[in-house]
This record gives sequence, C-alpha cells and structure tokens, in this order.
Amino acid sequence: MRNTKDFFRCAGLALALFAYLTLFFGAEDEWSIAAYVLLGVGGVIALVSFGALPAIERLIQANERACQALMIAGTLGIIAVFREDHYTLFLLGTIFVYSAAVLGINVQLGYAGVINFSGASFFGIGGYTAAVFLQNTPAPPLLTLLLGGIFSAVIGSILLFPVLRTSGHYSALVTMAFALLLKVFLEVSEWLGGPQGLALPSLKFLGIDFAEDLVIMGNEYSFYVKYDLACLLLLIMTFTFAQRIERSWMGLAMDAVRIDETAAACFGISVTRWKITAFTMGNFVIGVAGALYSMMLSYINPSNFTFSDSLLFLSILLLGGIGSLWGVIAATAFMVVIPEKFQIIQEYRYLIYSAMVLMMIVFRPSGLLPRKPRRYIAGGPL
Amino acid sequence: MDISLLLQFFINGCMLGMMYALVAVGFTLFFGVLDVIVFSHGDSVMVGAFAGLSFYLLCMYLSPGMPVWLVTLFVSFAGMAFVAGFGMLVSRFVIMPLRSAPALNTLLATMMLGTVMREAVRLFFPDGSNPKPFPRLLPDWSWKFGGALLRFDNIALFIAGGLLIVGVALLINHTRLGMAIRAVAQDAEAAQIMGVDFPFIVLLTFAIGSAVAAFAGLMNGLYYNEINFNLGLLLGVIGFSSAVIGGLGNIYGAILGGFVFAFLQVFGTVAMPFSSAYKDVFAFGVVIVLMAIFPTGILSERQSQRV
Amino acid sequence: MRMNKARWSGLGGALCLAAVLGAAPVAAKEVVKVGYIGPLTGGNSAVGLGARNSADLAVRLQNADPKSKYQYELVALDDECKANIGVQVATKMASDARIIGAATHYCSAVALGTVDIYHRFKMPVIVWGAVEPKITYGNDYPEIFRTIGTQEYQNKVASAFMRSQGYEKFAIIHDTTDYGKAHKDFFVKFLTEQGGEALGIFGVTSEQQDFTTELTKIKALGAEVLYFGGLTPLGVRIRSQMDKLDLELQFEGTSGIKSDAYISGVGAELAEGTLSFLDGAPVEKLAGGKAFTEAYARQGYAQPAEALGIFAFASMKQIIDTIEKVGPSRKALITALGRIEDDDTLIGRVTYDEHGQNAIPLMTKYVVQDGQWTIWEDSEYASGKRSLVKVKR
Repeated sequence: MRNTKDFFRCAGLALALFAYLTLFFGAEDEWSIAAYVLLGVGGVIALVSFGALPAIERLIQANERACQALMIAGTLGIIAVFREDHYTLFLLGTIFVYSAAVLGINVQLGYAGVINFSGASFFGIGGYTAAVFLQNTPAPPLLTLLLGGIFSAVIGSILLFPVLRTSGHYSALVTMAFALLLKVFLEVSEWLGGPQGLALPSLKFLGIDFAEDLVIMGNEYSFYVKYDLACLLLLIMTFTFAQRIERSWMGLAMDAVRIDETAAACFGISVTRWKITAFTMGNFVIGVAGALYSMMLSYINPSNFTFSDSLLFLSILLLGGIGSLWGVIAATAFMVVIPEKFQIIQEYRYLIYSAMVLMMIVFRPSGLLPRKPRRYIAGGPL
Repeated sequence: MDISLLLQFFINGCMLGMMYALVAVGFTLFFGVLDVIVFSHGDSVMVGAFAGLSFYLLCMYLSPGMPVWLVTLFVSFAGMAFVAGFGMLVSRFVIMPLRSAPALNTLLATMMLGTVMREAVRLFFPDGSNPKPFPRLLPDWSWKFGGALLRFDNIALFIAGGLLIVGVALLINHTRLGMAIRAVAQDAEAAQIMGVDFPFIVLLTFAIGSAVAAFAGLMNGLYYNEINFNLGLLLGVIGFSSAVIGGLGNIYGAILGGFVFAFLQVFGTVAMPFSSAYKDVFAFGVVIVLMAIFPTGILSERQSQRV
Repeated sequence: MRMNKARWSGLGGALCLAAVLGAAPVAAKEVVKVGYIGPLTGGNSAVGLGARNSADLAVRLQNADPKSKYQYELVALDDECKANIGVQVATKMASDARIIGAATHYCSAVALGTVDIYHRFKMPVIVWGAVEPKITYGNDYPEIFRTIGTQEYQNKVASAFMRSQGYEKFAIIHDTTDYGKAHKDFFVKFLTEQGGEALGIFGVTSEQQDFTTELTKIKALGAEVLYFGGLTPLGVRIRSQMDKLDLELQFEGTSGIKSDAYISGVGAELAEGTLSFLDGAPVEKLAGGKAFTEAYARQGYAQPAEALGIFAFASMKQIIDTIEKVGPSRKALITALGRIEDDDTLIGRVTYDEHGQNAIPLMTKYVVQDGQWTIWEDSEYASGKRSLVKVKR
C-alpha cells in the first residue's frame, strides 16, 4: 500500500502548491499580494523548521515519474482555471519559454561549466530569425522554430574559438562583449527593423490559428491557452532533454569537464569537444525558445534582448540552483511573477525587487533547490 | 586630416582612457585580492559623483565664502571617503558572506546591488531621475593649438588621475601594507598563517578601490559638468572590459586596457563616417578578437597552472 | 517515510488557511477604472513619472468635483520602454474589462507593439507621448487615438524654421532608439527637400557619456547647426561637452529636450539660445495652462510634470470627460472619442481624423531665454534684440 499512500501524499503536496500558485496569480490588490508573499515565505520557513523538507525530498525522489505527471497535471489545471484571463496566461507562457531558455543555459553552465553572459542575445537571435522567416517566406512555423535554434547555434559558434581559449572571467568578458555588441547591432541595422523591431504574423500550425480565441463546445477561451500549451510542450521537451543528458554518459563527461578540466583530460575526455557540444546545444535550445517567445509576443525589438536580460537569465539559474532543473522552473516563476506583482508599487518596484534578489543570493548562495547527486533512473538509487 | 584635429582626438582619447583606467583599477584590485568581480563598481563611480555634488551643496550651505580650491579639495576628499566607507560596508555585508560561494554569485549579487544603488539615487536624490549639473570648480583656462583646444581641467584631471593610480601602484608594490595585500592575493590561507589580518586587508582593498572609483566619478563630474544616475551602467561594463583586456590582477594592465578601449572607441567613431553607431559594435568586436589572441589579457600574469 | 501524521496535518492546515485567505475582498463602492502606461523605472522614467502624475492629477481633480458621476481610480503600470514588458502590461490592462480607457506609452517601439493588443481587446487608448507616425497611420484600429503630433510634422516645421533663419549646413546627432532615429530620418528628409544639407550623421546609444569624439568631428565638418534627436539626458551631455570643445554652433533639439531639466542640467548660461519644438498650442498662453501648473504644484508630486505631462493630463481628462457623457463602456467610449471635434483641451483644440490622430497639428517653437523656455514669437530673438549663433560665411 505504500505506493498508493505515497501517491496521495505527492498529490496532496502538488495540490497545496498549485492551490497556492492559483491564489497568488489571482491576487491583485496590494494587501492580498503581500499576504500571499508572506504566506509563501512563512510556509517555506515552517517546512524547514518542522524538518519536513528532507522527507518531502525523499518522497519526491522516490516517486519521480508520478510527481512529474502531477506537476504537468497541475500546470494544465492552472491554465484551465485562468482560461479566460489573458494576462495570467501570457505570464504563464512567459514562464514556460524563459524556463526552457534557462534550461539551455543550464546545459552550458550547469553541466559543462561554459559561462554564457549572452543568453538573451541568443534568445533574440532565435526571435529575429523567426520574425525574418515568417515575414519574408512561407516557411511553416514549426520549421521557423527549428531555424531559430539552428541560427542561434551557428552564430554562437563564432564565439567558440575565443570562449574555448579563455576561461573564467576572461571567458565571461567574451560573451558579455557579444551581448553588448549584438544589441547595438540590432538597433542600427535597418533591415532588421532598427530600434523599432519587427512585427510577427500570428502563429498558424496544423490549420490552427493561434491568434484566434479558443472555442471549446461553444465556450470562448483566451487564445493564449494555445500559446501556453505550445510553450508548455516546449518546456517539457527541453526538460526531458536536459534530464536525459544529465543521466547519460554525456552528462557525466560534461560534469567531469566542469569540475576539473585537467583531470577530465587525463581520463581521456575531450574538454574541447564537450564544451563545444554543451555550448551549441544550449544555444540551440535558447534559440528555439526565443523563436517561440517572439511568436507569442508577436512584436520584438532590440530592447528585449539587452545585456541585463542576459543577466536575468543567469540570475534565474543561480537562484534556482545551478544545474538543478526543477530549481530553474521555480526560480523563473519567481523572477517573472514578482516584478509583475510589484507593478502596484510602481516606480519603487525595481528597487525592492533587486534588494530582494540580492538578499536571496546572500542568504541562500546555493539557490532555492540546489542540484542533487544524479540518479541514473527515475526514482532509482543514488 | 589635419594635425590639430588629430591632437584633439588624442586629448579626448586620453581623458576617456584615464577615466576607464581609474574604473578598471578597482576591478583589478578586487579581483586580485578576492578573485571576485564586483559589478556594482560602475555604480560606485556614480555614487562618488553624487556624493561630490552633495558635499558641494553642503559646503555652499555651511560657508558660502570658502575659496574655490578649498571647496574642490573638500569635495574630492569627502566624496572619496564616503564611497570608501560604502565600499567597506559592501565588502563586509555582501562580498565576504559570499566568499565560499561560486564567483558567479558575487557577480550577480553585486549586479543587483548596483541596481539598488542606481534606483535609490534615482528615487531618493531630489529630482534624481534627471541629469544634474556639476559645479565648475576648476579654472576655465585653455590653450589653442590650431583647431585643437587644450583646457586646464584636461591637464589637471589627467595628472591627478595618473598620480592616484601611480600612488595605488606604489602602495601595493612598495609598502608593508601592499605586501600584505599581495600576499592575500597570492594565497589567502598562507597569508593568514603568516599573520596577515585577512578581513582587514579585504576592507582596506575595498576602501582603496572604491575611493579610486569615487575619484573617477568626481572626474566625470568636473570634466563634463553633468552627472546622472545612469552613468555607472556602461562605465562599469567598460571598466570591467578594460581590466580584463589588460589582464586581471595587474594594475598596469588596467591602465593599458583603459586606454586601449578608449582609443578603440575614438577610432571607431573617426573611421566610420556615416554610421558612428557601429563604433560600439566595432569596439566590442575587437575586444572579442583580443581575447582570442590574448586569452588571459595583454599583460597576463604568466603563471603555469597548478594542478 | 518518517514523517509523522502531525506534520501532514500541518500541511493540510496551511492549505486550508490559504483557501480562506483566498476569498477576495468585496469592493464596497462603485468605481470606474482608467489606466496609464509609461516608463516608471530606468533611463526614461523622468518623463514617464511626470506624465503619470499629470494623469493622476486629472483623476484627482475629477474626483474632487462634486458633480462627477463616477468615482475614478487610476491604474498605473510601468512598461520600462521595453516592447516585451509593454505587451505584458498592455495585456494586463486591456484584458481587465473594468478598465474603460487608458492613456498610454511614451516609447514608440512599445506603442507599435501594443496597438494590436488594444485592438484585439477593443480597449480605447489615447497615446500621450509616442510620436512615431505608424502608431496611428499604420493601422485602421478604431481604438487608437493620439493627442500628441507625429514626428513627421514636428520636423517639417523644424527644418522649415531653421532654413528661414538662414542656416544651411547641419550636423546631426541622434540616439539609436526609435525616437532619435525617426527624428533623424524625418529631419533629414525635410531638410534635403528644403535645400539644406546634412554634413554628418552620428548615431549614439542612449547610455553614451562621452561625445567629444563626435563633436570634434563635427567641428571639422564646418556645420552651422547641431541638430540633436533624442532626450534630455543626452541633450544635456552634448550641450555641456560642446562648450568644453569650444564648439560654437547653434544647438537645435527636438521635443525630447523641452524640459526644465535640460536648462537646470546645462545651466542657464549654456542653455541660452537652444531651440526646441513641441506639439500643441503653447500651454502658457491657454487658460488651462496656468490652472494646470498651479494644481500640479498643489498636489506636491515628487517629480516635475516635464514637457509631456500636459499631454497625459489632456488625454486622461478627455477619457474622463467622455466617460461622464456616455457612461463607463469601452464601446461607447470608442465611438464618442472618434466623434470628438474641436475639443478645447489643455493642449489646444483637438479633432481626431479617421486614424484617431489629432488632426489639428499645432507646433510651438521654443527658445531658451534667461533660463526659461520662451515661445519663439515672444522672445527677444524673434524681435531681433538677441540673435542665435550667427552663420560664418
């Protein structure tokens, strides 16, 4: 009976989590937002002080598949609850694509240790690729998504040589310079729309027009439901991809490269090869996510892909816990939703938000959900 | 191109280079001692400029009849002391707690700190979201060489900045205190075993680096006679780039990097007639190429890696 | 599974507590919501905050009026001048059916990205600050109105005026944002049409601090006028650095530098003679202008209204006045706004054409005289007592 019992416990946890998220997403006035923030913080502190966290962790690890299914079900549940609330759906979609992009950075930094300060640039390359192809060619959207990823990976390979030759902060500078360069380049190049950017036609796929409201049995729901489902699908695919890598010999090799290049090389692992693989794979994922994001946004301009957006991506990864897949999703939700909820404090929102993130980095340097030792099989032993 | 124009470009480039070098020195010092990148350093420059302005206003309020040279000295030293103090607080409460965490943590934490500083000045300095005039404290003398104009403040600020950097270099290379800083930079644990007061050295380094940043801010104010809350944003990135191009941990590298970057920008603007907006694309493109050629900076510490 | 029952029931308790807290408080009073969107954080926040306060002033004045039919509530959101954030907050505002109408956007790229959203959700908006022509003329959406004129007209007036003053050779610095770039494009277009010449064009990013290299080049070009397409912070830097290089050119700005911050930033002495152009009738001359300035001062806002505050005020007031007439319905508001003709507002008469653009383009020329923005026609420059920088030929 243990498994059924466990399942119900998992389901209970998932229910609590998603009930909280639903209420939080729905909160509008300052008092209820403040109350939910306090409730969330209080809840986490209570769990920690009751000593419940390790138990929950064990529970989740032992029932990984079930928990993943529950998370997907819960997310679909949230989408269903907010089916008519365009704004919340848009935020959810943003969380999904950002998570997917940060998972790409996670492959680079979290696994192979290749630092990338130009995440938003590759995100933008994907977006601009999609915009250019959708505007000028009859390319099907699915293909443009792939093209976004391919372009981002190919342009990223220009940086490979300097990134491979350098390390640490020197390598950081290379990608930083690229981020700054690309934003200025987008701004001054007329054929990419210059500072005004490009508009994208709405996504049409398999005869479904993504810009039209969703009609199910005569009821109209927000068109963002369709985008959310597409974004969620991308996130699930990226997540599975990242998890598969982690649990394969590839992830093992990348970890070795990250932890000690010299030792890895001594054991016959090609440092160059794995860094190239991770960097390219990561950029591909980021590019695909960027392409989908720009389709959902339907309008992009260079100010969406600045150096500070790249830093946002890295902050998400750091806050979640470098290398931790679930951490990435949790941190993205936090970093996307909090500034939005802070709209109520208007001009003070960035001050408070930055101070909050600063405190989190100082007091929890390993992130919200630090990476755990790998398990090769879902629910398997260490 | 006539020679006086070249001279003018040279003067402009030198001023810019000195400013970048001053910012880069801080980056290089912090990196040398703690292996960290302090991204709020550019915003320390901005705080330095605003502190200078505040002390000037205070000065005018308390004793309006003070001679200008005294005001200038007071504003400079008070501004530098203020930012030095602030830098020590930052090192004590943000940098030191993150010492055992990965370097990326410090980088992002200080980036957030920079945002906090920037937004705080914007919101809490009176009408802080608009640019502020900075008082003209230096004499208005200038000399003409053909079409080129050499001003007294060019020379004064350049020399003062140069002296400050040389002073810091001397302090680090030729005093007992400097020896302690270098010892910590080489091996913090070994230095502690030899009796170096590690926390004190860290605080001291941050005080020095921040004071230099404050001077860069004051120089910015005195040179352009205008300051704004956003001025540290790009200056921070450029200062970091300069420090890295020159080779982190090397003060002379920081100077070299600062001037390299400044002249790259000047050259980019001069050489590209109808699209000077591409000059940043050019400058950062060259930075990437430079990094590919000199993976550890132009003046790197030629050390073999310990395994 | 070592966790005991008490802990699990604790979790359940937390869940119940969450559910109880979730019950939304019921609004006691009937209110009509109106919206404002503009940059409240970051580099463009000075203008955005001034406009926010001005829109807020319109709401407060209405609420203070006992004859008002509804109690108005302003929802102000921050778009950071970023297209993606703009789309986000526009979706938030437009999909909230309780918000009847809004005064929106300062940055053109944001406005261009959001017009589709307002159209989709059938929400009427009056653009108060973004000046790119395509915002109104690039679509047929009945929901989009704009009180402020377009950049095209502004530069037509500006270049004709400069030509009439006898200037021929221009150097141009513009920031690479949509605002600066579009200003440059239109100014160069009209200037060449009218026989002037652009000797050099320099694009700069909005974070740039040092312009000495560009200015030195301009000095060598032999231009008579430096045209600057961009906003106050850069304008202040450029004008101050012109002085440092002993560059004696006529400095001509756009609506972006017509702010008190420009004069206080460069100082009255250097600002003297700077030209700028601003849409609308001169506020100082209209009856409402003085009342606005006084009312604004009485509220004690932390930031000045800036040049575009009046546009945000006029837009918000128009929304409120129309709601008073036709009731709080988006549909009625759209129709009623579309029919507005010759409406007497703070910025002069307003009539919307078929694209929702204010069709009475008024442009006021300003020159800085003794530390004040002075209407050109009233200035000592126009009367010949003082003169702009003379052309050396």
